[in-house]
Amino acid sequence: MIGFLLRRLGLAAATLFAVVTIAFLLGRATGAPGALLLPDNATTEDIAALNASLGFDLPLIVQYFSYVAGLFAGDFGDSYRLREPALGLILARLPATFELALSAFSVGLALALVVALSIQLTGSRALRAIAGWAGALRQSVPDFFFGLLLVLVFSVTLSVLPSLGRTSPASLVLPVITLATGQFVMYLRLLDAALSEQADQDYVRTAFAQGQTRSTILVTQMLPNALLPVLGMAGLNLGGLLGGTVVVEVVFAWPGLGQLLTNAVSQRDFPIVQAGLLFVALMFVFVNIVVDIVVYRIDPRTSLA
Amino acid sequence: MTAQPLTAPALADGAARPRFELRASAVVGISMICAVLLLAAIPPLIPGFDAMAQDLRSARIAPFADAAHPLGTDALGRDLLSRVSLASSVTLGITLAVVCMNALIGSTAGIVAGYFGGRTEALFSVVSNTTLAMPVVLLLIAISAVVPPSAGLTIVVLGCTWWVGYARVTRNVASSLRRQDFVVAPLTQGADAIWVLTRHIVPNVWPHTLIIAATDIATIVLIESSLEYLGLGVQPPVPSWGSMIFEGQQYLGSDPWLAILPGLVMFLAVAGTQFLSQQFTAESRGSLLRKGGM
Repeated sequence: MIGFLLRRLGLAAATLFAVVTIAFLLGRATGAPGALLLPDNATTEDIAALNASLGFDLPLIVQYFSYVAGLFAGDFGDSYRLREPALGLILARLPATFELALSAFSVGLALALVVALSIQLTGSRALRAIAGWAGALRQSVPDFFFGLLLVLVFSVTLSVLPSLGRTSPASLVLPVITLATGQFVMYLRLLDAALSEQADQDYVRTAFAQGQTRSTILVTQMLPNALLPVLGMAGLNLGGLLGGTVVVEVVFAWPGLGQLLTNAVSQRDFPIVQAGLLFVALMFVFVNIVVDIVVYRIDPRTSLA
Repeated sequence: MTAQPLTAPALADGAARPRFELRASAVVGISMICAVLLLAAIPPLIPGFDAMAQDLRSARIAPFADAAHPLGTDALGRDLLSRVSLASSVTLGITLAVVCMNALIGSTAGIVAGYFGGRTEALFSVVSNTTLAMPVVLLLIAISAVVPPSAGLTIVVLGCTWWVGYARVTRNVASSLRRQDFVVAPLTQGADAIWVLTRHIVPNVWPHTLIIAATDIATIVLIESSLEYLGLGVQPPVPSWGSMIFEGQQYLGSDPWLAILPGLVMFLAVAGTQFLSQQFTAESRGSLLRKGGM
């Protein structure tokens, strides 16, 4: 366990180091921001003074070390425009993004669970085929276009659901359906494959021989084993999930991280973008360590590569 | 014993190759892809169709209402058929470039990591985890704060980040091949790693690369159009499916076809490749996939 943890943490540290370096280099590549921040009539001395106060006159390696030292102190840099810590701005937007991402994840997974269990309980080939085809068709259009179609039907034509903003619980419905249906197929395929594989195992046959009912075996014995690959996949897919949420936030004018970052780019407020990228990467690394440990605790057979 | 060249068996299990049958879904897929390719290829050949020419007096004509503009016009009076056609060429071109880059980078990384193992493999884990940790949308948002977005930037960023899937599969294949007799034998006779890699590993790995590429085309189209929807791809006035949908979104209430038309063409392309790639995946995985029924 200790060796596994150490190896896992070493890998995570190396990943974080690479991400931090990329984020830093991207930040410096934007160039010194003095000319951008001051009014047009500012003198060259003023610009140089501002750049110096932001630390842009120091050698690159010194800047890098002070940036990394700042990160350890929780300092992700300050927004150029608002002169506020970028981390604070990101944390303020995080609840909205999490609300959307977690609701979509839960709805998508719950839907996949219900369908996968129904397929196993009924043994229905038709249900499996229909669910598979519906999922494949849904995956043939990107989230943002599916979202627009939902807006066209439910907001423009039927006028039953709001299409923009985050004003009432009803505003959550369309973006969550958009994201959840997109993920549903992936989880369904994983669950269905895992459950079908479990069905051939000896322990299942033994349980049947003992006279346990099909639904008891399915829920108490097969399902926990089948959930493992889904858990791992969900962890690895976290980056994609948050990236997808960013786009859907723009479609529905959802006031989350995506809106903050796209606005920051158009205002050339790079520290916010840099901090956002770093924060998401940190979250990815952290969640994947947790997933690895959880899978390891649940399943002692896990090869600890 | 003379040094007889050892070549990899074409089919490892020596089973008779099953007769090639074109599935119904593959026929549907090919038809859908052909429709998109024709849409991309034919309008530029007809004189009088211009994707850029603006005519504000004939803005937002509905489809099938005017013979001069068979699919109608957009908010600036530009011919929609010409724009959807050009957008298809642009998007398919970018997709092809990205998929080729991904396949090349991913397979090379996977083969090297799988064959040599050890430290190379550890380095590979760090690099692939780093690219996974930074969602490509966020990375492109960050980079476009530095470099102005363009088609070339999209190709480079997507091309350099979306290869982990190829690398994972080819690494597993290469590392399982590495211990097999036909790979070890030439080494005992003095062949070097380059010989083994090019003669024995690559020929056994590239079919896997091809299958992933076939299924990945759809994914790349979807990601790329999302980036274009955010304004991070091809810049106006050159159209792309994503940017046309973004432009059409503001007229969703009055003229929904402005967004639906490019979306429909994108659906044809993506669904077409998905249906077609089912043929490949079914061929390769055989019973495993048919058992799943999807």
